Amino acid sequence: MRRRDLMLAAAAMASTSAAPRGGAAAEAAGSVVGLVGQCVVERGGRPTPLKLGDSIAVTDTIAVPADGKLKLRMSDGSIISLAAGTTLTVATYQAAGGQRQNAQLSLAQGLIRAVVAPVERPAAFEVSTAVGTAAVRSTDWFIEAKPGSAQVGVLSGSVVLQSGATHREVTIPARWGARLEAGRDPVEARVWAPQEFQAVIARTDVP
Amino acid sequence: MGRLARAMSGLAVAICWHAAASAYTASGDRNFPATLILPQLAPGDEFYLNYIMLPLTASGAGSANRTSSLNATWGKTITDNFGFFIEESYTALDIDGGGTQQGWQNLDGSLRYLAVNDLDHEFLLSLGLDRETGGTGAARVGASPSGATTPQLYLAKGLGDLDIGYLRPLAITTYGGMTVADKAPRPDVLNTGFTVEYSIPYLQSKVQSFDLPDFMRKMTPMTEVLITSPIGRSYGARTTALIAPGVSYAGDGWELAVEALVPATRATGSGVGVTAQLHFALDFLFADSMVGKPLFASP
Repeated sequence: MRRRDLMLAAAAMASTSAAPRGGAAAEAAGSVVGLVGQCVVERGGRPTPLKLGDSIAVTDTIAVPADGKLKLRMSDGSIISLAAGTTLTVATYQAAGGQRQNAQLSLAQGLIRAVVAPVERPAAFEVSTAVGTAAVRSTDWFIEAKPGSAQVGVLSGSVVLQSGATHREVTIPARWGARLEAGRDPVEARVWAPQEFQAVIARTDVP
Repeated sequence: MGRLARAMSGLAVAICWHAAASAYTASGDRNFPATLILPQLAPGDEFYLNYIMLPLTASGAGSANRTSSLNATWGKTITDNFGFFIEESYTALDIDGGGTQQGWQNLDGSLRYLAVNDLDHEFLLSLGLDRETGGTGAARVGASPSGATTPQLYLAKGLGDLDIGYLRPLAITTYGGMTVADKAPRPDVLNTGFTVEYSIPYLQSKVQSFDLPDFMRKMTPMTEVLITSPIGRSYGARTTALIAPGVSYAGDGWELAVEALVPATRATGSGVGVTAQLHFALDFLFADSMVGKPLFASP
């Protein structure tokens, strides 16, 4: 319980810059379609256990325990899978008519897989971590946040990973990955070994 | 015929370069940039053009005093760890006393297998088998009527896992191959070489980010060394040693590299030459198509 509180506190700190201002009512962003373990959503400062079918709203912070996994279907059709030990905040998720307009997530720690739904117009889908931000349009990819670093792996499409400190970017195409360490340029992208993909797929595979 | 024999002797090292595919590869957070005179480390989906020019030691009127070649190579992966290369070169020989001989080199193909890729220790070990098809090139530019087969061993190690501060961007690659000729009078040749490189992208991303100009952030200074020695009956061939200091610049899906060619022995050449290479990473540029991924890929 103490560990979960710490995770939520860390998520709140990481999402401060991305959270919407003011006290506007939370918008529906998605719902829970897969669940393992006692996952929790913090809404309005109160942690609440999640169950299948629950809605996820903008400003929610989701914490997955060490023995859990979670899968979300977002309002634009994107699927986000959270591995064990992940803490994620939905900072912004705007969609109209099933078409995403702007999505910003904040990953305090852990690993997510995002199968991002294609859209007809350019629309942001960004995941920020403590060390940098990854932005995509339509793709199937992973991002993992650890203390002092983040890494991205791409199964299809492409992702741009930007350092929060130096603002240097690296483009990561399908089958490639790259890392980012705090205060530095992104590491050059490279082809990921099959075992690297298999590892993150296994960790985010929600039955 | 005597002229050709002399030209072939002077060209021995150049022909060895043509058989050497060059390309980038990676292990962990380490990218080993494309090399220019040593063979590549591992299979990849890539295409590149390589130009070389080297003054040769002429052995009298009618012998070659300079060689220039343009080499094109295509690499394709079959699985994640196994692939092949096909390469061809067009050579121009300047003849002492006047005139130029031009023509194709023998067609060359090779297989590569990445046997070990230790991501944490930035270490690679791969095996290769190169096959030069004799008689497919022009004898007037030194292409041998005899083919040759070269088993190869490649090792590469980045020093990023060691606690050595600003030396962590250093990496070393080594290469060894034994070229076995199909028939006389072509000699068998032992090929050895190594590369020492210092990756500024690695420095910026793994050690410390300095406020460097953009073009410097993507550069990797490196020096290659290639030594060839005839084994057994030499048929007039001699040991050659070439030192090639230069720099590689990495863009998004491409690399451009230039190196000086400094002969270390008289048999290697008579002056400083140059080589340049433009390399395209097809697995980056065409990542979602069969052009850029293995025929049988996982997952």
